[in-house]
Amino acid sequence: MEKILKKALKTRDHLNERYIYVSADDFKGTCMYLHGKKRAVLRLMFATDERETEGAFNVYTVFSIPGIDRFDIVVLSLKEDDLTFPSITPEIPAAHWYEREIRDMFGLTPKGHPDLRRLVFHDSFPKDSHPLRKDWSMSETDLREWGEGIVQKEPYHFMKVEGEGVYEIPVGPVHAGIIEPGHFRFSAVGETIFFLEPRLFYTHKGTERLFETLGFAKGVMLAERVSGTSAFSHSVAYCMAVERMTEIDIPEKAKAVRTLVLELERLYNHIGDIGNMCAGTGLAVGYAKGAVIKERLMQLNERISGSRYLRGINAVGGVTRDLFSHADDILTTLDLVTKEYKELMKFLLGTVSHVERLENTGRLSKEIALKLGVTGVAARASGVNDDMRKAHPHLLYDRLEFEAHTMARGDVFGRMMIRAEEAECSISMINALLEKKYKGVPIAEMKNIPPYASALGYTETPRGSVFYWVMSGRDGNPLRVKLRSPSFCNWPAVPFAVHGNIVPDFPLCNKSFNLSYSGCDM
Amino acid sequence: MIKEILRNIVGPKETLSFPEGFVVSPEHVALILDLQKKVNGIFGRSLRIRQVDAGSCNACEWECTALTNPVYDIQRFGIDFVASPRHADALLVSGPVSRQMELALKKTYLATPEPRLVIACGDCAVDGGIYGGSYAVSNGVANVVPVDCHIPGCPPTPAGILLGLIQLIESVSKR
Repeated sequence: MEKILKKALKTRDHLNERYIYVSADDFKGTCMYLHGKKRAVLRLMFATDERETEGAFNVYTVFSIPGIDRFDIVVLSLKEDDLTFPSITPEIPAAHWYEREIRDMFGLTPKGHPDLRRLVFHDSFPKDSHPLRKDWSMSETDLREWGEGIVQKEPYHFMKVEGEGVYEIPVGPVHAGIIEPGHFRFSAVGETIFFLEPRLFYTHKGTERLFETLGFAKGVMLAERVSGTSAFSHSVAYCMAVERMTEIDIPEKAKAVRTLVLELERLYNHIGDIGNMCAGTGLAVGYAKGAVIKERLMQLNERISGSRYLRGINAVGGVTRDLFSHADDILTTLDLVTKEYKELMKFLLGTVSHVERLENTGRLSKEIALKLGVTGVAARASGVNDDMRKAHPHLLYDRLEFEAHTMARGDVFGRMMIRAEEAECSISMINALLEKKYKGVPIAEMKNIPPYASALGYTETPRGSVFYWVMSGRDGNPLRVKLRSPSFCNWPAVPFAVHGNIVPDFPLCNKSFNLSYSGCDM
Repeated sequence: MIKEILRNIVGPKETLSFPEGFVVSPEHVALILDLQKKVNGIFGRSLRIRQVDAGSCNACEWECTALTNPVYDIQRFGIDFVASPRHADALLVSGPVSRQMELALKKTYLATPEPRLVIACGDCAVDGGIYGGSYAVSNGVANVVPVDCHIPGCPPTPAGILLGLIQLIESVSKR
C-alpha cells in the first residue's frame, strides 16, 4: 500500500475516504494492486466534469478492502486534449457497465474496453451528445426525434448466437405482468436459454442531472423517488453524503430512527419478495399470504410515517419526526406479522412442488458473483459475505447484534432463504432498537455547505448496497450527484444465472433477484 | 391445509365489502359499494386494464399489484389487470413517460382496441411530477397519448386508485 501511495500524485483524506490521485500510466496498476493483491471490491466508478475549477474531467474509482472500514478512491484527471482513459474491464469485469456509462454520459472513452456499444442511450439518441457535461444542450428536433424513436442515429446490435436450432425470443419492453419496462432477448435452443441479453435503460429519466438543479434539500425528495420500494434507503444514503460533506454528526435519535426504518423497509421488501416468488411458481396461496403480510407492513408504514413507502421521513441533518412514539403500534403489528410469516415459511418449505422449482434454478456461482461485483441478497446467496451494515458500519449498526447470512448454493432457493433469515434478523433488530431510549433531537441544524466539498453516502438497501457521491458547486447547488443503486451491479449477473435454465423459469429467476429497472436506469 | 380446504367447502361463505385492513373514509363507502353495479352495467361485468410503466419509480406498479391482493381484491368488482393491451378496455399509465418509452407507449396505445380509455396514474404521469423538466422525460402522459382521467398521488394508495377508477366509470356513464 505504501508503494502505491508514494507513487500517487497526491492523496487526500476525508473521514473514511482516501482519495489517491494518479497519472494515466499508474491508473491501471493502482486499480489492479487494490483489486488483485488486496482483494478490494469495486464499489462504484464515475466521472465528473470539473473543467470549471480544475480544467479537467475526473474519473473516480471507488474500492473498499474487505475488513477495513475505508474507501480507497483512485482519481484520474483527463485534460480536454485526450479524453480517453485505460479501461480496467479486461482485468476487473465489474467495471464493464460503469465504463460504458461514463462514455455515454461524459464522452470519455475507456481504451481497451471489449464492448463499446452504448449502454444508457437507445438508437435514436444523437451521436456524440453527453448530458452530464456542463456545457451540454440538446435541440428541440433532437429531443423530439429521440422520443419518436424512428430515426436511428447509432444503431445497437444485439449479440447474435448462431447454430442449428438456435432461435431468438424478444420480450418487452412492455411485459405481461405489472412490472417495469425492459427488453430481453433470449437465444434459446428448444426450451433451454443459451444466452440472454437484457436491454435496459427504457426508464432513463436524467435523474443525475436533475439532482444538480434541484438543490440539496429537494434532492432528498428525488432520492426517495429513484426506486420506489427502496425509497428510504436511497434517501438515507443521499442525506448521509450531504451530511458528511459538512462533517456534522447527526443526533443519536436521528440515527436510531433511520436504523429502525431501514429495517422496516427491509422487512416489507423481503417478505413481499418471498411471496412474489410464489407467483413465479404458480403457487397462488403462498402469493396471497405473502401479499397480505406485506400489506399489513405497508399499512404500518402509512400509520407511522404517512407514506406507504416511508417517504418524507428523511431530511438533510436528521429525520422530520420521532417515530419512537409509535413503538407500541410497531410492536403489536410485528408480533402479528412474525406469527403469520412463520406460518407462511412453514407452508412454503412444506410444499414440494414449490421448493422443487426453486432448487438448482438460476444458479449464480461465487466466482461470477465476485467478478461482476454482485451485491446484496444475490451476492450473499452465492457465498459472498458482503453487507454494508457490517463492512462499513454506519448509523447504529455497530451496536446491534446481527449476522450477515451467506449461503453457498447460489440458486433461487438460496436467495429465498437468505431473505427469510434476514427478515427474521430485521424483526429482532427492530425489537432491540425499540427497547432502548435515545438522546437528542430528531434533526440537527445544518451548517452551510462549503463549495467544492464532496463525500460518499452509503447504506444497505433490501436489494444490496447503494452509494451516493455528492459534490457541491459554487452556487449552493450540487455540482455532481452520482448514484449507484444495487440493481446497476446486479443486472449484468442475471444472464449468467439464467444460462442453461428453461425459458419458463426466467420470471422466477428474475423475481428471485427482484431488481429495480428505475434504480438502474436512473 | 386440508382443514382449510374443508372449511372452504363446508363452512359458510361470506364476501366482506371491506375486508380487515381495507381502510376507507366514510364518504367513499357508498361509492365503492356502488362500483360493482356500474361495472356490471357499462362494461358487461368486466373492466380489463393493461398497466403500462412509462418510466415510473415502481411505487405505482406495486400499488396496482396491491389492488389485486386479498385485502383490496379488485377482481370482485369485475375489474382486473390483463397481460396484453389487445385484451384491455383501458390503459393505466404510470411515470412521467421517459423519452425512451414514448414509442413503446404509443405502440401499446395503438394495440388497444377502441373505444379505449387512458388513465394517468400518479403525480409523474399527470405532469412529470418531481421529474418534470428533465431532459429525458415528456412531462406527463397527456403529452404522448390522449388521457381520459388523472389519478394524483405519489404514489396514489390502492384505495385512491380504486376511487379514481370509480370516477372514470362515472364520467363514462354520463357520456
